[in-house]
Amino acid sequence: MSNLKKDKKWFKPTFDFDENEPPKPKKPLRETSKTPQTSSVDRKASISTTNNNINFLQVNHKNWMKNFDPVSPEDLAVHIKKVQEVEEWLKAACIHNRSDMLLLTGPVGCGKTTTIHTIAKKYNVKVTEWITPLDIELPSDNGEFEFREKQSTKFLDFIINAANFTSLLDNNQNKLVLVEDFPNTFLRTPSEFTDVLQQYKHRAKSPIVFICSESHTEGRNTSISLFTPSVKDQFQMHHIVFNGVSMTGLRSALKRVSEIISKKYTSVYNVPTADMIECVVNSSAGDVRSAVLNLHFACLRGSNCNLETSMILEKESKSKAPKKKKQASSKFLSLGKDQTVSILHGVGRVLNPKVIVENGTQRLTHAPRDVIEQFLSNPNSFVNFLEENYLPHFSSADQADKAASVLSDADYMLAEWREKMCQEYGLYTAVAGLMLANKNPVSAWNPVRGPKNMKIQYPTPQEFPALDQNFLYKGKVLITDYQTYCKIIGNKPDVM
Amino acid sequence: MSLWVDKHRPRDLMKLDFHKDQAARLKSLVQQSDFPHLLIYGPSGAGKKTRIMCLLRELYGSGVERLRQETMNFTTPSNKKIEIMTVSSNYHIEVNPTDVGIHDRVVIMDLVKNVAQTHQIDSSGQREFKVVILNEVDDLTKDAQHALRRTMEKYVATCRLILIANSISRVIPAIRSRCLTIRVPAPTENEIASILHLVCKKEGLSLPSELAMRIAKCSDRNLRRALLMCEACKVQQYPFTADQKVPEPDWQQFIRETASMILSEQSPKKLGEVRQKLYELIIHGVPPDMVFAGLLKELVRNCDMAMKCQVASHAAMYEHRMRLGNKPIFHLEAFVAKFMAIYKKFMEESLGDAF
Repeated sequence: MSNLKKDKKWFKPTFDFDENEPPKPKKPLRETSKTPQTSSVDRKASISTTNNNINFLQVNHKNWMKNFDPVSPEDLAVHIKKVQEVEEWLKAACIHNRSDMLLLTGPVGCGKTTTIHTIAKKYNVKVTEWITPLDIELPSDNGEFEFREKQSTKFLDFIINAANFTSLLDNNQNKLVLVEDFPNTFLRTPSEFTDVLQQYKHRAKSPIVFICSESHTEGRNTSISLFTPSVKDQFQMHHIVFNGVSMTGLRSALKRVSEIISKKYTSVYNVPTADMIECVVNSSAGDVRSAVLNLHFACLRGSNCNLETSMILEKESKSKAPKKKKQASSKFLSLGKDQTVSILHGVGRVLNPKVIVENGTQRLTHAPRDVIEQFLSNPNSFVNFLEENYLPHFSSADQADKAASVLSDADYMLAEWREKMCQEYGLYTAVAGLMLANKNPVSAWNPVRGPKNMKIQYPTPQEFPALDQNFLYKGKVLITDYQTYCKIIGNKPDVM
Repeated sequence: MSLWVDKHRPRDLMKLDFHKDQAARLKSLVQQSDFPHLLIYGPSGAGKKTRIMCLLRELYGSGVERLRQETMNFTTPSNKKIEIMTVSSNYHIEVNPTDVGIHDRVVIMDLVKNVAQTHQIDSSGQREFKVVILNEVDDLTKDAQHALRRTMEKYVATCRLILIANSISRVIPAIRSRCLTIRVPAPTENEIASILHLVCKKEGLSLPSELAMRIAKCSDRNLRRALLMCEACKVQQYPFTADQKVPEPDWQQFIRETASMILSEQSPKKLGEVRQKLYELIIHGVPPDMVFAGLLKELVRNCDMAMKCQVASHAAMYEHRMRLGNKPIFHLEAFVAKFMAIYKKFMEESLGDAF
């Protein structure tokens, strides 16, 4: 039994990546492709028996998005200069056969991974990617957990093996190690990561590439926490920063996709019009991946609702804001990345409520429910924004009173953090209350101000020389009692 | 040169100037050589801290007056470093846990644990427990209060807690029941006046009794404020005259100005200006409940009886909400807006009657 296990461990690093199961190609695919890729033969069979075979055949690749993957570096949507930079580095690194390091950073979906894969393919370099294994394991029969080696050790073993040992099935090509999925342990203790890099530098004989997506939240940025400037210096790491894909880049990439569609897949897709491409380009904000996804969704032939597409539809409506339904009428403009309304926009919608009269009944153009759905994640900051900005929009004291009391209600509800519903109720009260209270809004240009920082600054006892040094004064008492009088009494010598 | 407030602070339980009966009881409490946890509450400037220091002196002797200041460091569970000022002697430690805001729970738990785990070195002729004084217990978060409850029971053998609060309505019942609760009422105006006379005699000054009474009235039955006012009067003008101006705290003036702004015009624009004033008050650390009380007092002066009732009930409602809510400014503003609406309606009606 234990022998068998050992065997498995010994095999894993070298034989796991044969041609039939390529390393997972791209992030989006991970989600969408899971079913087809991981499915063994029997599972596929079971699916095709439950569903009808024809549907499966229509999407004729295992992974529909792979159809549109760039084949050569010229197809990449990334700026040509960046592609060249990566290409040069790869050429140099492969010639020397040293443990060179490259760090690629950039916003999501700007083509970092694809660039590496495409270029590697061009130069016939074998890419081996680390994917952090799931750590969950059930206890054995007697309730004990098996001893497991540390995640960092596993990681180090993997990347060094991948860099130094050639698989029997490959014919001695150059190798490249790719790390996109950083083990969690490094995020907690970045020093461990430096140790691993040190080891790799000494022992490995192939270049390694790290890919980090940039996010706007400081805390989650792996590229900042792991790859500090000192680390980059120490290992002479080459750093290439990708930018979001430009409009022209996106457009040409989508053109290519539409050509592929018109050549091969007319049975599945409608050939996209130029209009449609333009819409998708506008709405995807420099993210090729989501652009292709959106195009795929937009071009699907309406009637054939097969398994694959319905799955994707679910995925999409989950990830995108819940405005999905409007997209049909608004011609894809509401599809894609740009539909999250910024907080300032939302403030504007609430404070300048527009009423439209529709067959006799009045109705708000933006229903409160739609507005709150967008800000449910941070009701407090949104309500603070509203409170800071609502006054200039009101014309009468009466209505302002209603608005203020509504905000007071909202704050009271938001303070109850233990009850999750209260957050929603509070936000709804504030939004709907403000929209309805304002019967005749003042229409003037009012710049939106950010909420005030209400941090109270108590004076320190050192500011009052007259006070007893060894007495613990309370901040409140200092303000309410001592401050005024100490000023007067402090001037004593002048008076006397 | 120290202030009169500090200089003439009584240091012995028997020398206290008012609530002498209570002082005698406290003395006998300590003579039993042990006492339960105490929760001392009363309005500001009623002499809570003075009483506690006298009590400690009675308990440990004059060694308790050798004080030192120290900054203690704590680490929150989320690895945030916080520091807090403490004043301590060999026998006790005093701290304002509210200084660290929402992290007060950590301070309380760690501090009490630290103190409780170190036993007195020389227990012969000494008390075998130390005392921890916690200020402003009513402003502690609920979390911290619950933490306090557990710590209180756990370390009762080695330390006693003395909690100080302004009102026990916001202290959770569990804590109230674990402590001997002692109320220290504010001194009456006559008591304040007589203390002022006493202090002036010690300073070698003569104080006209009219002025003493006026100071006592202005001070809101707050002895600390009264003494500070008296000293400030002396700096401004001596010899004293009976009709001399008594300086009032500047934040009170500020609130008065704000109130007159509200009365001058009732419009959203004015409300915006009032809000800026309120912001200023809050940021400078004037407690929002005092702002509320001050505003109400100034505003109802211009109201007839029916309206007074209405305004006061709204004030009570919003003040209550402020305690429960997050941001005081929301509720202060809502109150001001409500008053504006009521007042405007009242003015329009009375004008309508006039024509």
